[in-house]
Amino acid sequence: MNTQQTAQLKSSANGFARRRSERESGMRLENKHQSGKLNQNRSMNAIGTSKAPVYESPSRDRLVYLSTCLIGHPVEVRLKNGSIYSGTCHTTNVEQEFAIILKMARMTKDASYRGSKQEYVMKAPSKTLIIPGKEVAEVIAKDVPVTVAGQSNELQNERHEDILIDSSISHSRHVELDRELSPWVPDEDDPQCPGLENIFDGPWNRGWDQFETNKMLFGVKSTFDEELYTTRLEKGPRMRELEREATRIAREIEGEDTEDLHLAEERGINLGEDFDGDEEVRFSSVIRGRGLDDSGYDEDEDILLDKRNTETFGDVPASSGAKTDHLHRGTSNDSAGALLTSSVDEPQCSQSSNGSEFFQSNTYDHCRQQADDLPCKSSTSDCNGRSLYGNPEILRVAQGHDSINASIETKTVAVDGKLSKSNESQSAENSQTAGFDRGGLLADAPSVTSSVKEMPPTEPEVVYVKADGESSGVSACRQPGTFASGSDHAGATSASSHPAVSPSSSLIGSSSSENSTLNPHAKEFKFNPNAKSFTPSHSSPVRPPSPVSDGSYYFTPNVTTLPQMHGMPVGIGMGPSYSGHQHVLFNPQVAPLRSPQPYFHPSGPQYGQQMNLGHPRQVLYMPGYQPVSSSQHL
Amino acid sequence: MEGSISNSGSNEDFAVGCMLSIKTTLGDEFDGQVITFDRPSNILVLQEGSKPGPRRNIRFLKTNYIKEFSFLGQSEDPLDIKKCYIDLQSLQDREELALRQAEADAERIGVGVTTEAQGIFDALSKTLPVRWDKTSIVVMNEVRVSSPYLPENVIGGTPAANDRVKKVLELERRRLQTRP
Repeated sequence: MNTQQTAQLKSSANGFARRRSERESGMRLENKHQSGKLNQNRSMNAIGTSKAPVYESPSRDRLVYLSTCLIGHPVEVRLKNGSIYSGTCHTTNVEQEFAIILKMARMTKDASYRGSKQEYVMKAPSKTLIIPGKEVAEVIAKDVPVTVAGQSNELQNERHEDILIDSSISHSRHVELDRELSPWVPDEDDPQCPGLENIFDGPWNRGWDQFETNKMLFGVKSTFDEELYTTRLEKGPRMRELEREATRIAREIEGEDTEDLHLAEERGINLGEDFDGDEEVRFSSVIRGRGLDDSGYDEDEDILLDKRNTETFGDVPASSGAKTDHLHRGTSNDSAGALLTSSVDEPQCSQSSNGSEFFQSNTYDHCRQQADDLPCKSSTSDCNGRSLYGNPEILRVAQGHDSINASIETKTVAVDGKLSKSNESQSAENSQTAGFDRGGLLADAPSVTSSVKEMPPTEPEVVYVKADGESSGVSACRQPGTFASGSDHAGATSASSHPAVSPSSSLIGSSSSENSTLNPHAKEFKFNPNAKSFTPSHSSPVRPPSPVSDGSYYFTPNVTTLPQMHGMPVGIGMGPSYSGHQHVLFNPQVAPLRSPQPYFHPSGPQYGQQMNLGHPRQVLYMPGYQPVSSSQHL
Repeated sequence: MEGSISNSGSNEDFAVGCMLSIKTTLGDEFDGQVITFDRPSNILVLQEGSKPGPRRNIRFLKTNYIKEFSFLGQSEDPLDIKKCYIDLQSLQDREELALRQAEADAERIGVGVTTEAQGIFDALSKTLPVRWDKTSIVVMNEVRVSSPYLPENVIGGTPAANDRVKKVLELERRRLQTRP
């Protein structure tokens, strides 16, 4: 389309700017876009005499537009004699009474043929078939993308088809279908859940007792006692209150807005009819093409990284706020087995409110994920009284606020049931509760919420409280926002949950359970700059993986391209490197610098370390940097 | 064959958006919604099906061939002008893709064979690699099945392959017979 021709053309009464050019083959393209923009990579040359434009009307425009949409699409042309040809539309000419040219056309029905189907003889498809307009009676096309949305999808789908998905293989274009397949539609019972939930209502509602039935039918005596598998529900005078509180919290949590598609669906937030996404987008756990992912993942892997650090080495004093953020997050995500000693200083713990918000939202969502995993999620009546760790949230206390009278409560994430004991054995400093069940939590709820409410909504600061007891390192943080009273602190709670949290949460879960056996009394690791370097011989290529290093947990937060960016003489990449183990080591110290940390696969080629004794600083800040003299192998 | 409808029907009959039930002289009957009607060429463009998505079933019908039609109702314009763009490049790509596909398909069609033969070919191709050689089906490059494509006509190949093809052929034939 020549944009220069725009000026020459008349515009119709309704203000469309239209352009028209004609080719010899009669192809005409028309653009209905108001701004007159047409994407094209090839300019169409108007060949031959351009006829005076026919009286232009919107209806003619539409016709031309639609027939253009047909290009490349399989169509069926019915001739006036009754024959039918199928092929790919190459071009049409509306001027000439809808002449059409088909490529790879086949006659699918021959009007002149009279006879039984058996004898019909197949013919080769014609490469190009020109059908004069006079013959054409009708042109039928199915699934024509008429608007932009249809077009882009189509191309995507077609590209996918190159990869031969199952449906295209089995679609049996070539073979007659035995029967007409129609997609399954659910019954009218329930649009989303076909009545499954109705069947298995709670035991108090169920009219059917399986044990009774069994006994009756088969004479089997049951020794099932529900309370063997769970903790007794203590029905006390405060029951009603607790229940009410719990339901309120549950409702709040569930009613929150979320950006996560899956959460939204769970909560029944309707995405809208014309939500642009097929089943994969809606239901898959793979999230494609969302820019947020990268940053989210980094954060989460950071959590894991640091968590590993702290667990193995005890607490490492956080040297910067940014790192602290991660550190806290890591520990908070971990269960009470996390070994943070309480020697962290206050100033180090202070964070920007942004960081904390993010932290909150992440842990919140993460906790929520884990809450879902645990047997009792928000059916609070079940949860009440059971010492459940169904509320794995951390509360962070803002310190330094005079309005808070000191009740520093410790609640920790109890991800793993194993750690319950240690949790419970903790004695609260002031009024810490041992039980981390909802009930226990709620027992203090009045005080908690009241104290929480007193806090100004901005800038919660983190403090680590030393808790006595076996597990000495317990992170005591209170998140004012996330503890269910999300609505109280709108600022603090950013309810936007990160989709990337879910994959990490499973990792966290598994890892925390692994590490719960770590020695809580392990000494804190302090980096010794004067330590001799270890130079393995070249013949030992693979180190046994250290407990901490696990390839999948490493990440490079700020690395866009690996080494070259610094113009270092040696690429940092896979070159002479440290094992993952040591990498962990440097991490906290490097914190302020945020240097790119290359990704090491622990089982990858590991070259001998060529660390110079005399340059500990280099080692410290630029892990992977080698002085020029060392040999370079990449 | 000219239809009996007079072409001097008023414009309102074919107003955009109206639902019509049409019988064509070719024996087609369908319901559709008018997208546009072009007077000079007498072409009526209809949209079939009610799903509102971006893809529609479209029919271009010359009004000469309308035997009869009835007005079902009036609805709004099915085409949203604002969303109507065409990307030429993507059209061309699509065409190329379709052509490639069609050529691949064309390989599978035997020239000068009966539909029955083609059906057998297609059925065999579901599980075995087959290709045409004039009017014989060549399976796994070894076994030939020539007209009239009965188990007796299976020739060649190792005994094992031969038997396998025979078996598949029998089954497919049986299946084809039971199907109407």
